[in-house]
Amino acid sequence: MHPDSPHIIREFDEAISFLRREVIAMAGQTRLNLERAIQALLERDIDRCKIVIADDSEVDDLQRSIDSTGMDILVRFHPVASDLRLVISSMKVAANLERISDHAVNIAKRAKKMAKRSELSYVKLIEPVYAVADKILRDAVAAYTDRNISLGASLKERDKELDRLHKNVIATLSAQLEEGGERGEDLLHLIFVARSLERTGDLSVNIGEDAVFLGSAQDIRYDRKLAAEIDDEDGADG
Amino acid sequence: MNDMVQTQTKAEKSRAVIEVDGVDFCYGTARALKDIDLTVRAQEILAFIGPSGCGKSTLLRCFNRMNDLVHGAKVTKGTIHVNGAEIHSPEVDPVELRRRVGMVFQKSNPFPRSIYENVAYGPRLSGVIEEREMDGIVEKALRESALWDEVKDRLHESAFGLSGGQQQRLCIARAIAVKPEILLMDEPCSALDPIATAKVEELILELRREFTIVIVTHNMQQATRVSDKTAFFYLGELVEFGSTSAIFSNPKKPETEDYISGRFG
Repeated sequence: MHPDSPHIIREFDEAISFLRREVIAMAGQTRLNLERAIQALLERDIDRCKIVIADDSEVDDLQRSIDSTGMDILVRFHPVASDLRLVISSMKVAANLERISDHAVNIAKRAKKMAKRSELSYVKLIEPVYAVADKILRDAVAAYTDRNISLGASLKERDKELDRLHKNVIATLSAQLEEGGERGEDLLHLIFVARSLERTGDLSVNIGEDAVFLGSAQDIRYDRKLAAEIDDEDGADG
Repeated sequence: MNDMVQTQTKAEKSRAVIEVDGVDFCYGTARALKDIDLTVRAQEILAFIGPSGCGKSTLLRCFNRMNDLVHGAKVTKGTIHVNGAEIHSPEVDPVELRRRVGMVFQKSNPFPRSIYENVAYGPRLSGVIEEREMDGIVEKALRESALWDEVKDRLHESAFGLSGGQQQRLCIARAIAVKPEILLMDEPCSALDPIATAKVEELILELRREFTIVIVTHNMQQATRVSDKTAFFYLGELVEFGSTSAIFSNPKKPETEDYISGRFG
């Protein structure tokens, strides 16, 4: 019946629900920040850049709240088994989301600088990289909220596609940079934007690994074979 | 050479000390234990957990035949071997079995005698009469139970002058003075404050070097702190048995998870 069956102490269930809601809210805000940062870059929207930079403090506040709620649950209720894994994984997911939001801020800051100059056609290269990074992030959060271990374990493999895209974009931008010209600084900004999106993929893979730990108590970090096995097993089960 | 010693130690540790095989236990017509299979290995600390009435104390009391003293209570099926010998076989003397399988109870129960006499009682029954030898046995048992420094200057004062925690450690000293192989503990800290509890838990972890310990506890944190393995009982059945870290981080049975995480209806 666990984990949906009620705890004998109602306050425990309330604290756990609160923790989950906070993580979901933080994930929503982080995705929004990333989406707005990319929109601001593509549409050369300085106001939107400022919103992303300001909203990062909301993500920071949510991380502090999640850590404090998690600590409170550990101290008051001594959770075990899947309850303990939920508290630990929520705090780890929050740490990864906070870093993703920091990358959104980096992108927004670079977009703000670029918006002050004329449009650069190479900006369009970023959009497909973002699309893949956002899908991986979305599924990482879904794996955590649904305790979906096969989805969580599948992200490492999908991140490779993002790595390939990132590599291609970097190659194009670097070649252009070597040719020289006035837009060297903006090309460098785009290289770092692509790099932030690639890091977002890595951090989302971490969240997927936290989801696997939450669902099955398995630590698949640094273990490609185990991750592939979980992915295959659940895939075969349908 | 070192490798060989280590290998031998490991082999010794994995030796089965208590083997429970298909045991049913009844109080009259009420079946308190159902088809229990369980192996306790040497120098292992095993915790029994489960709600009141699940059979954990009953099983503990089977190991030294304490249940013989309860009218109408008996093992009705299966076998229990302690160090290879079936404990219900006619050649096993229950009194000798209880010397080899010591017990510490929920409430400390020192005899109305001096601290020294409480510890000396068992060895004296076993035939130790020489005073110097007895002094050595008493000191060793009190040292092993981490009580010596607190009582060495008042050994001949009444045991009732000790605090609750000290009395419980005295009972542990009394139990180990007769050199048992196994120590059974039935909620040994339930009447103690947190500091006294911590001292007894530290003592339990020290004692594992010499003894195999089975402890019944209602305190989940205590089970996680002191035991190597945990057995979860419910309604007379052994639901799950495994390493304590596995039981408390990733239990296999939903009943176990519900109980340890406080979701038992």
